[in-house]
Amino acid sequence: MLVSSEQIIDALWETIWMVSFSLVFSVIIGLPLGILLVITRKGHLLENASIFNTLNGIVNIFRSVPFIILLVAIVPVTRFIVGTSIGTSATIVPLVFYAGPYIARLIENSLLEVDKGVIEAAEAMGATPGQIIFRFLLPEALSSLVLAMTIATVGLVGASAMAGAVGGGGLGDLAITYGYQRFDTATMYITLGILIIMVQALQSTGNILSKKIRRS
Amino acid sequence: MIQFEGVTKTYGEGSNAVNALSGIDLTVETGEIFGVIGFSGAGKSSLIRCVNLLERPTKGKVFIHGKDLTSLSKREVRSTRKDIGMIFQHFNLLNSKTVFHNVAMPLLLSGFGKKEMSKRVAELLDFVGLHDKADQYPDQLSGGQKQRVGIARALATNPSVLLCDEATSALDPETTQSILDLLRKINKEYKITILIITHEMGVIREICDKVAVLENGVVLEHGSVFDVFTDPKHQTTQKFVRSIMNDHLPESILNDIRNKKNNHVYRIQFTGSSTGHPLLSKISREFDLDLNVLYGNITEIQGIPYGNLIVEFMGERNQIQKALLSIQQQSITVKDVIHHAS
Repeated sequence: MLVSSEQIIDALWETIWMVSFSLVFSVIIGLPLGILLVITRKGHLLENASIFNTLNGIVNIFRSVPFIILLVAIVPVTRFIVGTSIGTSATIVPLVFYAGPYIARLIENSLLEVDKGVIEAAEAMGATPGQIIFRFLLPEALSSLVLAMTIATVGLVGASAMAGAVGGGGLGDLAITYGYQRFDTATMYITLGILIIMVQALQSTGNILSKKIRRS
Repeated sequence: MIQFEGVTKTYGEGSNAVNALSGIDLTVETGEIFGVIGFSGAGKSSLIRCVNLLERPTKGKVFIHGKDLTSLSKREVRSTRKDIGMIFQHFNLLNSKTVFHNVAMPLLLSGFGKKEMSKRVAELLDFVGLHDKADQYPDQLSGGQKQRVGIARALATNPSVLLCDEATSALDPETTQSILDLLRKINKEYKITILIITHEMGVIREICDKVAVLENGVVLEHGSVFDVFTDPKHQTTQKFVRSIMNDHLPESILNDIRNKKNNHVYRIQFTGSSTGHPLLSKISREFDLDLNVLYGNITEIQGIPYGNLIVEFMGERNQIQKALLSIQQQSITVKDVIHHAS
């Protein structure tokens, strides 16, 4: 094995760091986007065809670019924001561009599951659009939103591993530079094992949390 | 008071336009329980949603206590909605919140303080008989209990009007009865005007003061429940009345009667005190007739007894005519069945 256990632990932390930061930023972008995609659609709270069509189009464009290409394609943007296009921080930018629209779609789906009758009841009570979103839509969708966030996080773990391609650090980088390019099978399997355990842990946590919210 | 003035609701545009409501004029007086009945697709749910502007009329106006809702700003509409409670067929409760928080929701939206809110919610849950369910979630409740939560929620802000959108249609007959009792109690104790839409004639008979029959977005007839029940003018209304009076003679009996040359089958309708008189035996003796009762029923509508008999008169023709005249002189309605209601 060509790598030390310290290197693996460092890489693990880098992955966790990348995933958590990009998750936070992606939610900051994806949540309002997802909410807007729901409330501006036809027959909903604040129906607005032009906003809906624009956002819908933008989300589709980003969703249609494979991450490995997105990573390279937005290098100028990354350089503008972080000052460099190499390293762990630089990877967060493409990860957010990748996960933000993805999360918007997931949130849109969760919110659309909320019973229309509940929204109608809210309107009949004289609730403002803001109150309907925060007191009715989001709480009612919470359990489904938690599952959606779990999917997004697992997706980010996978995407962050590709960041190795631009020297982004993390477990994926380790697996590619040592496991693949230097034929270090042991490193390859260890990183793979860690990734599997991470994903399992994330999914289980998400499931338990969602169930707890749903109380069933 | 709720007034509809030429309310028209059109969905779609151009050649796809469908009129859900066409020029509805109705007045619901303060303090009454008003029922709107119709088959599905009649426009009932559009009509009730025009009252709190969940649907905006394409044309026409809706007044609540003389105030034209269609002229109000969004903010004013929202504040007026707090004066209009609404309950739904499928209850529309928040499944993620306890009974307490569901009922507290309208208060929370109106900015009530915690203490005041707890007090009011306790009061409301007591009123609907669910004081022991405050910490349960809707999915732990039966349909009737869920509707009670819906009612408590609708009453939270002390509305002067309550809209009931098929509120008992998803409930079994026994539960329906208890919910109707509760609605009556609300009407009596809080003097709340109640507008009910339903496809169940039983609901109308049970608690409504007035009724309007809706079909294809048009009011076919309206009036006091007693008048509409005892003298339904329109065919659809007759269908509804028949759905619970069940005074339709079986086809085989009708055929037998039609085959007789001189058939004299009449429907006799008694109302009020006349239901107590032994009319038939008197007539039989006085005019020397044989009377054959084919159908008989006595019921109570809005607290007034109402009897309904279908009787075959057998005897001499002019004696029968005299007998009918005598019955009519006692202000009892007589109608020829064979030529009237077959």
